[in-house]
Amino acid sequence: MELFLQTLANALIQSGTYALASAGLALAVGVLHIVNFAHGEFLMVGAFVAYWLSVLAGIDPIASLVPAGAVMFAASGAIYHASIRRVLLAPELNALLLTFGIGITLQNLAILVFGATPRVVHTAYQLTVVTLGPVSVGVAPLVTLVVSVTLLAGMYAVLYRTGVGKSIRAVAQNRTGAHLVGLDVDRIYLLTFGIASALAAIAGSMVLVRIGASPHMGFGFVLKAFAIIVMAGLGNLTGVLWASLVLATAEAFVRTYVPGGGGAAEAVFFLLIFFTLVWRSWRTA
Amino acid sequence: MAGTEGMAQREQVRIGISLPLTGPASASGKAAEAGYRLALDEINKAGGVLGRRLQIFIEDDGNLPAKAVPIFTKFVTVDRVHAITGIFGSAVGVSIVGPAKLHEPLIAMLGAASPLVERGFEGYKYLFHYHPWAYHNMEAVFSFMEFVRTGTGASTIAMLYEDGPFGSAGIGDTRAELIKRGFDVPFMESFKSGSGDFTALLSRAKRHPVDVLFWIGFDADALPIAVQSREVGFKPRLIFGTPASWPVGYEGNPVARDVAGMAGWTSASPLPASKEFVKKYQAKYGGLTEEYMAPMGFVTLTTLAAAMNKAGTTDRDRVAAELARTDADTPLGKLRFKPSRLSPSVYQGFDSDLWMVFQFREGRRVPVWPKSMAAGPLAWRWR
Repeated sequence: MELFLQTLANALIQSGTYALASAGLALAVGVLHIVNFAHGEFLMVGAFVAYWLSVLAGIDPIASLVPAGAVMFAASGAIYHASIRRVLLAPELNALLLTFGIGITLQNLAILVFGATPRVVHTAYQLTVVTLGPVSVGVAPLVTLVVSVTLLAGMYAVLYRTGVGKSIRAVAQNRTGAHLVGLDVDRIYLLTFGIASALAAIAGSMVLVRIGASPHMGFGFVLKAFAIIVMAGLGNLTGVLWASLVLATAEAFVRTYVPGGGGAAEAVFFLLIFFTLVWRSWRTA
Repeated sequence: MAGTEGMAQREQVRIGISLPLTGPASASGKAAEAGYRLALDEINKAGGVLGRRLQIFIEDDGNLPAKAVPIFTKFVTVDRVHAITGIFGSAVGVSIVGPAKLHEPLIAMLGAASPLVERGFEGYKYLFHYHPWAYHNMEAVFSFMEFVRTGTGASTIAMLYEDGPFGSAGIGDTRAELIKRGFDVPFMESFKSGSGDFTALLSRAKRHPVDVLFWIGFDADALPIAVQSREVGFKPRLIFGTPASWPVGYEGNPVARDVAGMAGWTSASPLPASKEFVKKYQAKYGGLTEEYMAPMGFVTLTTLAAAMNKAGTTDRDRVAAELARTDADTPLGKLRFKPSRLSPSVYQGFDSDLWMVFQFREGRRVPVWPKSMAAGPLAWRWR
């Protein structure tokens, strides 16, 4: 029972990280209708921004989520103007290849500038653990979970309670219709892409404490995020939380209860994508 | 190549160096490059090789066979080098077996661990392999574990290993050997390196009251294992990992305190040749290194140049004969070549004696084993 409860706790904690890493991708897919394969590298940039702020200015990685998000918000504006907006109306493959290329470029730039060796920070709460009966969890991932839920709730509020959110939803539903009623579609796309990229960077600054920063860290996250948005339904922001919990729980239980599950757990996201698509096609058949 | 430039080049002694300066192994490659360049300065300041200036050609193979093979061929056919060195990693080592047997250059190989490389070079007379093979590495691990058991009474080990070629090669034999030596291994599990989530595996390991957590993986796994062990309340008395390199900043992290690792060298080594190397390294680069590929690169080039000077020629056979007689005190310890265990035609330099175990303490790597190298006792209180 103790192991079962600890596994559930591990899954809950990990789902916070996954939700944070997936929220931006869900937004980009839902509004811009592009699968941004550079999303993982945006997360990596956020981790490095937080790392350098910690090393050079002594700023805590959790406090760095604001500057990391701001840096990526600004950088993504440049990326959007230089490349993304040119493929929004092109066949989907163009956007896939473009964002994949942006990801590779960012990864190699990071290797050139910082080297391939991971970098780690240290914080006082890295060693702090909360124990509840037989279950113990770290404070750092607990904070990540809280930040994740707060940000997703905030985003939901913005999308459904504000004028900007209404505009974003209008553009997501019907680009042409939104344009006809006078909305600046290009500006909404720019804003949405910026928010999505900033969310990735925030996720990067949050995972820094537990796993460090390295040029290669993004790819694994983007694969998991892809599985989550497929499960949630493309563009369904509210579904990201439960889909993250499903993926994290499935992985934790495979790692814990399946012999050899430590290696096999990395295939769980792929199986979930497969079964989700089969289930969806069966439902609509 | 222009005619005059070609003549000038022929007057120099030329060595080709293939290194992973980019890609996942670049930390080791760049460290080796620093060692090579330090050796080059020293050799040329002392009059060069055979009274001529030593020239090196450094190429980035990215630790990729597809890049390493053309680089190797270029060294032989275009640069017309007198010897080839560098060559780091098993995949690259295996890939050059064919071109090496075709052109038969003198090779002073920095290091590959897989016995596949050793077997591939069976019958080749011009390979001098400096780094220990994988079985040497495991012999050092077993000796260290014996030291832990006799010193502390520890006898139970949990093993985590990455499921790629590095971590899983011979893992079953490793476990069997530990059990044969009287250890209990109640928990052994693979993981995907870089996944970052060890909580489930560590929660399972927690159910077994083990003394030692022994993990085989990469630098990206070092922080998550130490942090998440604490998060789930897993408290072995010693965490011992064997990645090829460690993350930047790990030393200074309180999480890393008393985590043990294996290294071919540390800057705290008490060997006189090591202290001299550290002094020279600091003078040239203005800082310290903890990467053992730095002294390894230094040793490879200096011993190769010394063999050429002793031979009085760059003739491959005569240089190889001199290199085979190498008996040098190096920063990494005594270097003597002997026939390799699986392929006796191959000359093998360092063996299990190269390795030492250190613990992270006060932001430094403190050697704790073997006794001859220890700068402090083994701390047995990770929790």
